[in-house]
Amino acid sequence: MSDIEAGKFSIDELENVQITIGKIVGAIEKKAEEEGIEVGPTPKPGISGLRDWDYKLLSRYQPVYTPVCDQCCYCTFGKCDLTGNKEGACGINMEAHQARETLLRVITGTAAHSAHGRHILHHLIDKYGRDKPIDVGPSNLIAPNTQAVTGIRPETLGDLEEVMDYVEEQVNQLLATIHAGQEGAAIDFESKILHGGMLDHVGMEVSDLAQMSCLGMPKAETDTPLVEIGMGCIDPQKPVLVVIGHNVSGVTYIMDYIHDHDLDDKIELAGLCCTALDMTRYQAEKGGQPHAKIIGTLAKELKMIRSGVPDVIVVDEQCVRADVLDEAKKLSIPVITTNEKIMYGLPNRSNDSAAEIIEDLSTFKDPGALILNFDTLGEVAPELAIKMSKIRDDMGITALPSDEELQELSEKCVQCGACELDCPVNLPIMAAMKDGVDKDFRKFEELHDLCIGCGRCDQACPKDIPVLNMIEKASQKLISEEKGIVRAGRGQISDPEIREEGVNLVLGTTPGIIAMVGCSNYPNGTKDLYKVADEMLKRNYIVVMSGCSAMDLGMYKNEDGETLYEKYPAKFLAGNLINVGSCVSNSHITGTAIKVAAIFAQRNVTGNYEEIADYITNRIGAVGVAWGAYSQKAVAIGSGCNRLGIPVIVGPHGSKYRRALIGKPYDEAAWKVYDARDGSEMPIPSAPEFLLTTAESIEELFPMLAKNCIRPSDNSMGRMIKLTHYMELSQKYLGHMPEDWYRFVRTETDLPLAKREELLKILEAEHGWEVDWKRKKIISGPAMKADVSAQPTNVKRLCKGEC
Amino acid sequence: MVDTTKNTQIYSTYGRKMAKPVNPNVAGKMLSKAKRPLLVVGSEIVDNEQIIEKIVAMAKKGIPVAATGHSITALVNKDIGAKYINIHSLGTFLGDKNWTGLDGQGPYDTVVFLGHKKYYLDQVLSGIKNFTDLKALAIERHYMQNATLSFGNLKPEVHVEALAELVENL
Repeated sequence: MSDIEAGKFSIDELENVQITIGKIVGAIEKKAEEEGIEVGPTPKPGISGLRDWDYKLLSRYQPVYTPVCDQCCYCTFGKCDLTGNKEGACGINMEAHQARETLLRVITGTAAHSAHGRHILHHLIDKYGRDKPIDVGPSNLIAPNTQAVTGIRPETLGDLEEVMDYVEEQVNQLLATIHAGQEGAAIDFESKILHGGMLDHVGMEVSDLAQMSCLGMPKAETDTPLVEIGMGCIDPQKPVLVVIGHNVSGVTYIMDYIHDHDLDDKIELAGLCCTALDMTRYQAEKGGQPHAKIIGTLAKELKMIRSGVPDVIVVDEQCVRADVLDEAKKLSIPVITTNEKIMYGLPNRSNDSAAEIIEDLSTFKDPGALILNFDTLGEVAPELAIKMSKIRDDMGITALPSDEELQELSEKCVQCGACELDCPVNLPIMAAMKDGVDKDFRKFEELHDLCIGCGRCDQACPKDIPVLNMIEKASQKLISEEKGIVRAGRGQISDPEIREEGVNLVLGTTPGIIAMVGCSNYPNGTKDLYKVADEMLKRNYIVVMSGCSAMDLGMYKNEDGETLYEKYPAKFLAGNLINVGSCVSNSHITGTAIKVAAIFAQRNVTGNYEEIADYITNRIGAVGVAWGAYSQKAVAIGSGCNRLGIPVIVGPHGSKYRRALIGKPYDEAAWKVYDARDGSEMPIPSAPEFLLTTAESIEELFPMLAKNCIRPSDNSMGRMIKLTHYMELSQKYLGHMPEDWYRFVRTETDLPLAKREELLKILEAEHGWEVDWKRKKIISGPAMKADVSAQPTNVKRLCKGEC
Repeated sequence: MVDTTKNTQIYSTYGRKMAKPVNPNVAGKMLSKAKRPLLVVGSEIVDNEQIIEKIVAMAKKGIPVAATGHSITALVNKDIGAKYINIHSLGTFLGDKNWTGLDGQGPYDTVVFLGHKKYYLDQVLSGIKNFTDLKALAIERHYMQNATLSFGNLKPEVHVEALAELVENL
């Protein structure tokens, strides 16, 4: 490495000459050395940098492909029929093509998050400067994903630029591998998928670190404000300004304008998707009051627009429907786009005055405008909403059909079933139509919560019946009562919290972390999220929420009228319910696992991803649930968890990601680890049984959650607690004792105390284990021994005596 | 005889190798001839007594039952030895010649599906179609294009009637 320092210098004798030295090869290592920090073997790993680790994971959790389409349509050699794992004209076979397809989805999601990160970082550096310190609350390890992956310990916004450079370079390299049929091995596409997922968590982390540091968002706070959610919490009598998307940059200008001009009580500012979540975090630090309401998730976008309630819609990026402008136009709602990723073909008014834009939109000269100047946006959006509210009232716009029209539309239905076949959830729409003829609209109302609001039924109907509008009209009472509570996102889990809870987590006395993330295409309605979180919280699991799932969880109340956010505290402790924040805050969930390894176990994090992942894989009982996994971002988040050894369960729609990573419990050779004390092989039980799989129903999900929190390093008390939950949940929701429970028993103290004798008898009678009944001890039978001081690892080089 | 071969409109996916529509009597005979069949039952059967009755009848005629999702809750007291398994795992294990089946008796040659979410089963069947040699028979209410043989899209009452005819032909 050169001794030249990065930075600027001038040569005195040469006037007007300034030389800038950018990044120096080896700079990360040198800086770390100066600071006395050990750097692991893989700072800024390239595509192949962690391939060995991936191969270890993939040898146990083998890729399973379920193609959505049997053909490859990538190039002009084809279309190629790959059915039956045939090869196409370029030589790629079905397996590799499916892995490639998944990789494309993963890097799309990664790009969505990291491009958001780059955008907001640029914006905030422009506003606050490169030297603005990163502030995440009481943490020394302020960027766990970033530090583990890149080796960089960012301290300022400027430091994050180099992190983004790395992520973008790697995403570009990964994207290049999609081209033609060049990569012949599915398993190497798989490694690239995991690489893409890992990058996603770095990109997300940069996004959230930047916005938390600059926008007054809560920083590892446990008592963040409780905020309103639901279509019913919007007051339609006021001018209603609705924002949609995932990047709060521009929206903060709107919020500032509203606040500075004393319009807080005169306008309804509400949001859909993660911008809404981040609006409630904006300036909410240390008890500050949020200024916005949350309408809900992507599933509510079309429903909200079609309600006719919004007077102006502002969109930014990511989970925003492509038809927002078309739908809004029908109801005379102007649309403002604020981000180059979504421009809807609208004229660029960024350089025009606010007055001119307001005049043109309020007179319908244009249906909307692209405004990239946030100062202008801040003024236009609220002022236009105030103006449009009166104009639209005067126009007498009615959005949904009347009761009479509802009946007439029902009569129009010929029961062809096209809507049901096209509905992603196969909802029983025909039966609702049948009853609707007799003015009984209850079945439409029942569809409201089950409907994911995609609008495909409307497109499918040969009679042009607006099915979605009928569902919404019939559900008006229900919608007016949709008033929930969400706890504003808290950001990271702090170092002191990790120190307090880490030991319980590692030893298993806290039975596990259930991270409920993902989107809104649930198989059986929104309430299932509530049921899952409620059950697991009662059982003392730590439940962590983010994004759309965090929103939907707040929609339901218990018999005391409380949401779970009101019922459960939000510390990082057993039986607590945490909302980390928006989609990009998912990085704090993986960040927490990394922190446990760093803080509790004193593992070196810097550029040491494999060792950290290995630690998490074998010791931290965490399971991700994306019950409504919909987007490319969700599969990217899941893949990032997977590379750290965290298993993820998606709902049945997640099968359309076309690929899973499932272990084979009966393949004994796959379920072994090394004991780092001496390098000897240790058999382990098959948990987690998968890295990525699907569940059919929440009843099936419950025991899967408990079982897959089991880790090789559990002590007897931890194993007993985890096993107890696995057995109880299986009996409660599947009506039977799980058949494989005995595989997780190493010693009699692993058995649930209340059932110990009964279970010992079963072990003896049905599985041939020897039991000393005087001492109630197992003499022989278990495939593995209980040894609390064993140090399970998948990485041979980490074993004593190995290099 | 119930005609279950009409209306094979597909949902949203496409492949060049599509399921052949099949009538219940043919499906029943094919199942009877299978050396090692497996009936895979999904959670949509829960609360549907008519379908549960047909599953029990098929099981009593010697077809082992795999219960996916929480369908086992409807079968635990039926004395048919149904075994719970996750369907994504099952779809994977079915293609592994080293898997000895739910009962340890060896791999299956014919799998029959009933009572599943359409979009979910469609994916599982896609995996089976592309990566195994198994015969997959879908006796669902909807046409499952990724099966080897499938009923067409049926009304609920016709579906029950078709299942009854299939049982008669076992």
